[in-house]
Amino acid sequence: MPGAAREKGSTMSEEIKVDLELDLKGLLCPLPMVKVSQNITNVPVGGVIRAVATDPGSMADIPAWAKSTGNEVLSAEKQGNEFVFLVKRVK
Amino acid sequence: MDAQALQTIVGVIDKRMTRQVKQYLDICARCAICKDACHQYVGTDDLTYLPARRAELIRQVYKKYFDSAGRLVPALYEARDPDDALLDELYTSCYACTGCRRCMYYCPFSIDTQQIVAIGKAMLIAVGRGQEMLGQLADAALFKGENVEMFRDVLVSGFKDIEAEVREITGDPEATIPVDKQGADILYVALAGAHSIRPAAVIFHEAGVDWTISLFEAANYGYFFGDPEKARLIAKRFMDEAKRLGVKEVVVPECGHAYRVAEIFYEAWAKEALPFKVSHILEVVDRLIKQGRITVEKGRIEGRVTYHDPCQIARNGGIYEQPRDVVRALTDDFVDLIPNRAEQWCCGGGGGIVAIDELRDVRLKSGSKKVEQLKASGASVLACPCENCRLQIEDLNEMHGLGLQVRQVIDLVVEAMPLPRSASAS
Ligand code: SF4
Ligand code: SF4
Repeated sequence: MPGAAREKGSTMSEEIKVDLELDLKGLLCPLPMVKVSQNITNVPVGGVIRAVATDPGSMADIPAWAKSTGNEVLSAEKQGNEFVFLVKRVK
Repeated sequence: MDAQALQTIVGVIDKRMTRQVKQYLDICARCAICKDACHQYVGTDDLTYLPARRAELIRQVYKKYFDSAGRLVPALYEARDPDDALLDELYTSCYACTGCRRCMYYCPFSIDTQQIVAIGKAMLIAVGRGQEMLGQLADAALFKGENVEMFRDVLVSGFKDIEAEVREITGDPEATIPVDKQGADILYVALAGAHSIRPAAVIFHEAGVDWTISLFEAANYGYFFGDPEKARLIAKRFMDEAKRLGVKEVVVPECGHAYRVAEIFYEAWAKEALPFKVSHILEVVDRLIKQGRITVEKGRIEGRVTYHDPCQIARNGGIYEQPRDVVRALTDDFVDLIPNRAEQWCCGGGGGIVAIDELRDVRLKSGSKKVEQLKASGASVLACPCENCRLQIEDLNEMHGLGLQVRQVIDLVVEAMPLPRSASAS
């Protein structure tokens, strides 16, 4: 579902267009990372996935996946009991 | 296929084909006894998943390049080039194989199809056809290992959140999840998720175990991917950590392949003897219960309980009784699945297949025997170590309306402990 998300915890203030929302709540690691990876080709190059997970392991897993696959995590932050990621497809 | 790719594949066979595997390929009597042992063939009726057929693909290429008769008269000796059609089938048959080795158990010659499949995966990886998701998961783990300082703060902050829950569950505001504790007795290498840390932390706390948590996870996608070097490096992350901390014992979580990698394979891969022992968490929990260091009460878990032997813990890891003893300490209403222990049916979720979307249909069909066993048991609770098995059986549970509670064993243990908040500890 396309939508918009504000990048929090960053000096950038512009709205970031989100191309795909992923609800990964309740999934245990490494499944949040698997789902982000499986869905990255569902957004165009330069497109952004907003993923919401509840497993704290995703805070290391998703950035590590992005680094090792050459994609980019624009932000990763804890909001209450949820972990919210903006992941940009780079290639 | 271009000449270079062909040469690469032939080179992999030359390097990886041990005398033992050559013997497997030579002695297979094609009796097809293995067809009734493989949950995937039984569940799909598709020849791609016949254990002997998986081996046949590799035998055909081997004969073409390493057998004089096959080289001279390929048609007569079923020798074949690794063309695209062969590699496509090899991909499906190798990455679908859960490595359960039930076929080996029933094969009259004990042919280890998993070892043959490992060569198939190496051939695929060498020409860039390895399973992409498993490769990505392996690379992400390696990246974490090489950049541990980059992740230390988020990991420690995650442990602190879990620590707060452990304090609430145990009612002890001093309960901790120790990180980097030099000289601790145990290094617990959990999975990345909180679910494998929280109950273990409660148990260790209640038992007064001197422990510390690893910054790394025990899951090893390098092993599933089929790259022994990546697998070794992924395990090396926590083996080096254990040496640095000077612990006496490395304890891996319920996850089956993590145990097999750490206890059965690592020393041979690393060509070194480890200065500590490696244990499965259920061996440790069994020990703690028998030593009276934790209290569990029967009657807290409702309904008939059964137990699934994950292939990598049981048939391939030799741990049969300790998990059963743990479960029996929690309930008087325990029933075994039939068959069980070394003959246990693979649930269909091992080998990394739960992370491979395109094999989902095969995976679900291949659970048919497990569904039959679970229905026949009359149990309402399944004690199920191993993350991969649980994911698969939860899917089967939903698909077949089994109405089972599929539970991690250490969650059941915490539920049976008289604690302020044990019922919701998981
Ligand atoms: S049971 Fe063993 S000998 Fe018989 S076909 Fe299968 S692998 Fe070959
Ligand atoms: S190891 Fe298991 S999945 Fe693989 S061929 Fe043998 S029985 Fe089938």
